[in-house]
Parts: sequence; structure tokens; C-alpha cells
Amino acid sequence: MFKINLHLIEYAINTILRSKTKNIFITTIITLLVFLLSSIFLISNSIKYELNQTVDSLPQIIVQNLKGGKSYDIKTKVANEILEIAGVADAIPRVWGYYYFQKAGVNFSLIGIDQYEMKYKNSLTKVAQSFNLEGESMVVGTGVQKTLQNNYYDKYFNFIKPDGGFKKIDIGGVFDGDTQLESNDVIVMSNDNLREILDMRSSRATDIVVKVNNPEEIPMIASKIKAKYPNMRVVTNEDLKISYANIFDYKSGIFLALSLIALFTFFIIIYDKASGLSSEEKKEIGILKSIGWKTDDVLKEKFIEGSIISLFAYMAGIILSFVFVYIFQAPGIRLIFEGFSVLKTTFELPFVFDMQTLSLIFFITVPIYIAATIVPSWRTATLDADEVIR
Amino acid sequence: MIKKTKILFLSFSILIIALILQLGYLFNTKSLTNTQIQKKQDFVSISQMPDLAISTTASYIRNRSLSDTFLIYKDDPTLREYFPSTFTYSQGIK
Repeated sequence: MFKINLHLIEYAINTILRSKTKNIFITTIITLLVFLLSSIFLISNSIKYELNQTVDSLPQIIVQNLKGGKSYDIKTKVANEILEIAGVADAIPRVWGYYYFQKAGVNFSLIGIDQYEMKYKNSLTKVAQSFNLEGESMVVGTGVQKTLQNNYYDKYFNFIKPDGGFKKIDIGGVFDGDTQLESNDVIVMSNDNLREILDMRSSRATDIVVKVNNPEEIPMIASKIKAKYPNMRVVTNEDLKISYANIFDYKSGIFLALSLIALFTFFIIIYDKASGLSSEEKKEIGILKSIGWKTDDVLKEKFIEGSIISLFAYMAGIILSFVFVYIFQAPGIRLIFEGFSVLKTTFELPFVFDMQTLSLIFFITVPIYIAATIVPSWRTATLDADEVIR
Repeated sequence: MIKKTKILFLSFSILIIALILQLGYLFNTKSLTNTQIQKKQDFVSISQMPDLAISTTASYIRNRSLSDTFLIYKDDPTLREYFPSTFTYSQGIK
């Protein structure tokens, strides 16, 4: 049975303490490395988690009209033609767009809904505290509300129409703060009002959202739509998921490149350790062997030594990064993922416990460091004691 | 057991306890509740728009997955065409 040899542990502690400065430096570097790597992964995991929570509520297929490389208004009758494809449950022309509010330098996302559809009324009551979409009013996100208030628009807003005229819309309600990450820049109003602001005829829409009965058939139906309308862009929810993955892989990639310096330092330490022992360390192993230690014992002692340093640094790094990311909300690093936006959201990164990330970081630090401690000692310990001392 | 070993075991136990307490605390206070998730899903099913509202300075960032291939060159409303380089920012006009 495996039994912990306390004397070996004591010996390992003493060895570590003998070269205190060097070991403190190594521990600091590993802690820093673990801290940096896990902070990046934790932030990107949290944001990815946020996105993935809502990905299933997204439309299964979006059809957009392209003209000269730009998306262009689509004819609403295309929706009826898409409905004829077998397997399509619903095809809804959707009106949405952006509105640039020059005074504050922000883009609002304007989304139109069918005012009289009961479905929307029920869902709106769940996400907006009080709302009123009757007549000329709109429901806005908290960020929009704040921006408008800063510009003295408390009760209404004057949209500038493409023909230069104004369209006055009352603020009928505000979206719940819990949805801020999704609703911060959003303005929801009736399709008719939005068509006026975007200067869109009633026979046109921004794009068409397609619902499919059987999710397995989405790629098939998407390719049928594509074959029927080769000029159109067909985006499936799978494409959206891939796009999310790309954004975050790209952003964590940028930061990983920055933390390469820490990784580089770590591997220099590893290289230094693995390339051989100092004559003093060799002598120590020689003496240990000559007083009766077996190769096995020397390796065990080195294993304990490496484990103490790397495990300590790993745990300290993980604890620090949790505090940094979830309690202090990752000041500085978070900006890389958020971008520099005028309409700031004040969301909190949700806590996600991701065993995969933690073990990934564990395996690129702890075993490598332990191996770098054991391997050169094993090379020396297998030699004869007199040869090593001499 | 000598004092140094005791200190070592103690510090490791402190780290493990701190980690467990921290995870428990974060799990209870900082993770998304079901109602919050439900609200988000309700909102997205109304708006039907992908991507998070974390960057709104230019539209190609907000709904990146739906934007045009060439939007990056022309879409930001603060960009003005400028001959010697490709574009310039209009800082003064508000």
C-alpha cells in the first residue's frame, strides 16, 4: 500500500527552502501564468455561456437579400414562396435596422414587431416592467434610456427620417435589467412606425425568418432556399453558433498571444531545470545515494518537491483569477472582450464552473513542471554514487 | 512531524478550503438563475436578434453574424472618406 513518507516531505521542504529566492520566483511565475490563462478562459467562457443560453431561441434560418455586396430590402412575398417549401413551419418578414444617434455617437438597434400579435404581448410583459406599444410608442433598453435621458429625452424621442423629417415616438416602457446584455441598445416598436423611420415600403422587409418543424431538416431547407434564390444569403442557427465560437476564439487568441511572454518565461524555467542539474544538486544526489537512498527514493523526493511548488502555485493562481474575474469583474482584461462601446452595458459576468478549462491549465503547468524536476534527477540518480560525487 | 511540514499541510488546507468556499460563494451569488435565463430567452424570442449588446459603436460589431462582408470599411458613422488615407474619424461633429 502507498504510504506517505513524512521524512521525504520534510526533506523536500528543506531542499525548497535552501534555494528560497529561486523557488519563490518560480512559484510567482507559475501563479502568474495560471492566473492569466484562467482569467482569459473564465471571461470568454462566461460570455460564451451567456450567448449559448439564448442561441436556441434564435431563428433557425434567416434569409437576406444581397445586392452589390450589401444586404438589401427583401420582398415580403418571398416569405410566401418560402412557406411552400415542404418542412417549413413559418416564414415571417422581419423589419429591423440601426439608428445612429449622432449626439451621443451610438447605434441603436431598432426592431419592429407586429403590434397586434398576442404572442408578443405575452412575452413582452415578461421582459419589460411596464410597457405600452399602442400608437406611437416604443420599448427601450436601459442603455438607450440612459443615453436619451442624458440628452434630455425623458418621455419621447425624435427620430430623423431618411427624408429629413422627424418622427416623434413616446417611450412606452423599459426592458428588464436582467436582459441588459441582450437589450441594452435595443428599441422595439411597431412595424408600421419602424417602416416610416427606415423608409421602407410595406411590401418590403429587412429579412425573412424561417421556422422549421424538424431541426434535423434545417441544412436541407437552407440549401433549398439557396437553390431557389441564389442571390440571397441564407444564415442558419448553426452558422450563428460557429460565428460565436469564432469571435471568442479570436479574442481569447489575442490575449493568449499577450500571455505568451509569461508562458515563455515558464518554459525557460522548465528548460533550465530540464537541461541538467547544477554540480551542487548532483553532489547532493550522490551523497544521498552513498548513504543508502535508492534511486526510487530520490525520485520520490523530487516528485514531492515539484508537486509542492506547482500545486501551490496552481491553486493560488486559480483562486486569484476567480476573485479577479467574478468578484472584481476583471477590470482591464474584460475590455478586450467587450470592445470599446459608447453605450456601455453594466452586466456582471455570470459564474460558470468549467472543469475542462481548469484541467487544461492544470495539465499545461503542473505535470510539465514536475517532469522537469524529476527527469534530470533521474538521469543523475541512475549513475553510480562515486561517479556523481567525483 | 516537524513544524515546517505542519505549516505546509496547513497552507495547502487553507488553499483548498478557500477554493471550496469561493466556489460555493460564486455558485450561489454570481451564477445565472433560471428566471434570469428565462427572461433572456424570452427577450431573444421577441427580438430574434443574435449577438450581445456589448459593442454598439458600429453595427458590424453588434450583429456581426448578420452584417455584410464589406461593412467594416464603410459602416461606422464616424468614418469620413478622406483621400490620402482610406478614412478619417470625424471627431468634432456631434
